[in-house]
Amino acid sequence: MRGFFLFMFGGFFFALLQSGVLPLFLPPDWRPNLILILILYLGLSENLLRALVAGLLLGAIQDSFCGPSLGLYVSVYLIVVLATRLVSEQLNVESPPLLLLVIAGGTLLQNLLVGFYLTVFAEAAPVLHILIPAIPKQLLANMFSAALLLFLLLRFQRMLGYRPGLAGLIYQSKSHGT
Amino acid sequence: MLILLFSYHLKVFLEQSVRELLRRYRFLLLAVALLLATVILYSYNLRQKTATTFFERAVITFASPFLHSVDHVVDFANGTWNDYLWLVNTRQRNLILTQENQKLRAQLQQVKEISLQNVRLRKLLAFVDDLDLPALPAQVIGEDASNWARTIIIDKGTDAGLVNGLPVVAAQGVVGRIIKIAPNSSRVLLITDASSAVAALIQRTRTRGVARGRGDDLSIEYALRNADINVGDLLVTSGMGGIFPKGLPLGRIKLVKTDQFGLFQQVQATPTVDFSHLEEVMVIVGENP
Repeated sequence: MRGFFLFMFGGFFFALLQSGVLPLFLPPDWRPNLILILILYLGLSENLLRALVAGLLLGAIQDSFCGPSLGLYVSVYLIVVLATRLVSEQLNVESPPLLLLVIAGGTLLQNLLVGFYLTVFAEAAPVLHILIPAIPKQLLANMFSAALLLFLLLRFQRMLGYRPGLAGLIYQSKSHGT
Repeated sequence: MLILLFSYHLKVFLEQSVRELLRRYRFLLLAVALLLATVILYSYNLRQKTATTFFERAVITFASPFLHSVDHVVDFANGTWNDYLWLVNTRQRNLILTQENQKLRAQLQQVKEISLQNVRLRKLLAFVDDLDLPALPAQVIGEDASNWARTIIIDKGTDAGLVNGLPVVAAQGVVGRIIKIAPNSSRVLLITDASSAVAALIQRTRTRGVARGRGDDLSIEYALRNADINVGDLLVTSGMGGIFPKGLPLGRIKLVKTDQFGLFQQVQATPTVDFSHLEEVMVIVGENP
């Protein structure tokens, strides 16, 4: 339960960072989606039920900080969590480069889903003019941020004591795969 | 008797099969049910565009003090950096500078900042005075947390008498309208957001159209192909949408293209407001004349 609240706190902190601090230094296209990185981490390291519930709540938090309607990111992150779980069972995600590839895949999937939902449900097709050209910058920003967070996590975990597995990212969680 | 026995076995078999299916595909069924529920939630909220849900209000309300704090911390950091830290090298190069001199420079910097803010607010007030409508000043304290939506967060909400749908302007022109509201903060949908559409007209020729957001600029839809539109023309609100007062600047035409076929021209405009440097705005609280 403590871990769950930690994820929620992390998501809220990331939302504040994305809304209040990053806009001071970075133009919109170069701002990383830190909550997406957290969602992918959740999908890889937590048990399915916890990942789903946390994904839905983090989606609702992101919806409260962006766009006009609640529900968009709730749905998008649900699919991202499920897709991540599917991928994590097929690939060796203990490898850091592969993990970055998962981040890249997650970013592409998220953009695809946001574009689909906004075009089909909200009839906001012009959003594609914004989304598509921004994808390469988003990929770079998200991968760089993920690498940075991974590095910090590694340092942080070493401070707490070494744990086996990729920076203790996957398979270290007691509840992974349950 | 045989029929009864057969139907009993069939019933047992079916029950076991259904139970087995439910057990085997429980995650898939759960995922599909959740996905359907989220799509329904999203579709429902799309219809309730102006309504702020309890969850959103709670999150915005909870986030508001943090955003205020972040704003203050950034101001403080900016102040410290501008007023003290960057002077360290100067002091090393020039030993004549005293502590008193530093304080004076810091004060001067503050006065300069206040004076610049004063100029911006005067412009804003003059703009709103011309409108002849009551308006409320507000500070921008946050931006959208995604890269595709264009919204900002301002530091005034229901406690200051604001409601959903009120137009927001800056000294250079239209900023957007309030879409979500909490007691001490509100979210404003910028005119450059892809879901924003404002009834507009070309000031010089009175050609009508709809200004739709494209992220950084605006596209003018439904401008007839024979309409007289030139690059550099000023685009203003037409007042037809019922939200923005008539005649407020929206943008300047930067591209006019007429295809070989089609009823309409392709027109694009650059917003008059520089959204990347937006600090103070005015919320028009009076009735649209």
